[in-house]
Amino acid sequence: MENTVIDVEFQNVSKYYGKEKVVDEVNFRINRGEIFVLIGPSGCGKTTTLKMINQLVPHSSGQIFVRGKNVTELDPVELRRSIGYVIQHIGLLPHLTIRDNVNFVLQLQRVPQKKQRERANELIKMIGLPDSYLDRYPHEISGGEQQRVGVARALAADPEILLMDEPFGAVDPLTREQLQNELLRLQKTIKKTMVFVTHDMQEAFKVGNRIGIMRRGQLVTMGTAMDIVNAKDDFVRAFIGREAVFSALDTIPVFQAIIRDCPVIHEGDAIDPADPRFKDWENVFVINQNGHCLGYVSLTDFKAHEKVTTEKLREITSPCLPSDSLKKAIGEMLWGKRAWLPVVTKEGNFEGIVSFQSCVSILALDD
Amino acid sequence: MEKDHLWMSTWKYLASKSDFWISTLLSHVMIVVWASLIVIVLGVVLGILITRIKPIRGVVLGVAGLFYTIPILALMGLFIPLMGIGLKPALIALSMKGILPVIRNTYAGINQVSPKFKEAAIGMGANRAQLLIRTELPLAFPVIFAGIRTAVVMNFSMATYAVFIGAGAMGTIILVGMRTFNDGMLLAGTLIVAIATILLDRILGWIEKRIQKRFAL
Repeated sequence: MENTVIDVEFQNVSKYYGKEKVVDEVNFRINRGEIFVLIGPSGCGKTTTLKMINQLVPHSSGQIFVRGKNVTELDPVELRRSIGYVIQHIGLLPHLTIRDNVNFVLQLQRVPQKKQRERANELIKMIGLPDSYLDRYPHEISGGEQQRVGVARALAADPEILLMDEPFGAVDPLTREQLQNELLRLQKTIKKTMVFVTHDMQEAFKVGNRIGIMRRGQLVTMGTAMDIVNAKDDFVRAFIGREAVFSALDTIPVFQAIIRDCPVIHEGDAIDPADPRFKDWENVFVINQNGHCLGYVSLTDFKAHEKVTTEKLREITSPCLPSDSLKKAIGEMLWGKRAWLPVVTKEGNFEGIVSFQSCVSILALDD
Repeated sequence: MEKDHLWMSTWKYLASKSDFWISTLLSHVMIVVWASLIVIVLGVVLGILITRIKPIRGVVLGVAGLFYTIPILALMGLFIPLMGIGLKPALIALSMKGILPVIRNTYAGINQVSPKFKEAAIGMGANRAQLLIRTELPLAFPVIFAGIRTAVVMNFSMATYAVFIGAGAMGTIILVGMRTFNDGMLLAGTLIVAIATILLDRILGWIEKRIQKRFAL
């Protein structure tokens, strides 16, 4: 990756409570604009690691840099104000209205009233709740809505970095999925650097650009969803479990598994089933001058040098987009009892095909 | 017959001496207001201090507990040789009696604020003063108010004793009624104090409920 800015960096960071080492020599770098997920069994030190970033928990040794500055040289209050914090179990203050909760950080910084009002209206719109909610109290809205307000509150001062400590832990699975989708949609526009703690592997695969797995205070492995499912470490494999493969498939786009060398001919061309290009293939895809796919023909239907005619053209069914997930593609194949699917862009250009083989080989990559 | 006579004379006293007992009641209220203000300000400040400075906690609660246990007449008896009689020693005695519930509830109220809210406030960048003023005190307020209610109601009934230290108030009517064998006056004074105390307690209780509802407790 070129031109990446490191927003958070840990260098050999440890945390002791008395003699007990809860975080053990942790090293990582989080790039600007990425969602970095910390996951592990309870007591693995993931939340402690998160809280060391804004110094809610001071570290015992090693160095922590936030946006290039050593946190021990910064005023902790100023540091915390510059970082958004979404608290476990929501943590909205029950004595304040939604407006005052959202504006809490701005009030701490004594931002003018007028600005606060504008920002509250902006944020409530951003999280998709009506303006009238601003004057309600936290107990008057649902858990899912409270979670959204929690995210809005963290965004109030427009921080570059967002810490999220199991932000969607306190809601039912359906709402959680919805909130995850909203977060990802939001992230497309706000492009914040997020450190996200969870114990839910599926959530990690879904929201994380990169995932770090912790165990007994140590960062065992770190990488993309694909790196994680391909990890050889026994603990990691046991921790993520078989189900994780499906979650990982959900995060990998089809374009990584496209077979691009499938045979293609142009509309109106003559076809020769003996053409060496068609060796190992049963079907040939027909495209027009604009690259649009008209359909495909089966080689067995043709004699040598026969012209491709519309009668013999078979329609391509259920094409997938390059941005679709592998999980979706595999599901489609299983559902339609097919061994492959054509991949067509939104503009209708033919990209190639995906097959079971090509999907599976992605996960079976040996290095 | 005797009973009818007593009620009649009570009624007559209330009707004919309304100017006197109303002004006496007002002076009673003023003593309670001043004593309560002292108790609230001092009690809340001390309550906050003992959540912050652990070593003084035992001393403060111990001394306030001692004041609370000593009968108010004994306290006043102690003040007469030291500061003479009048409003000042009466206020001090009342404040000493009433301060324990406020200190204790302020301390308990702040301590019962869930750590998740404190961490939320600190995590968002609240400094020490902002944590106290914007999070701890508001969240502790229902509990603190319950302590204030106890103290104010207690002050109101205790202020009846102020007459023994020369500060007047409703105790005057009761005492004079007693000394002059004016049963009507005695009963009138007693009724006014009793009803006013109950009313005050009810009103403060109603406010307390409203506060708790507002804080969703």
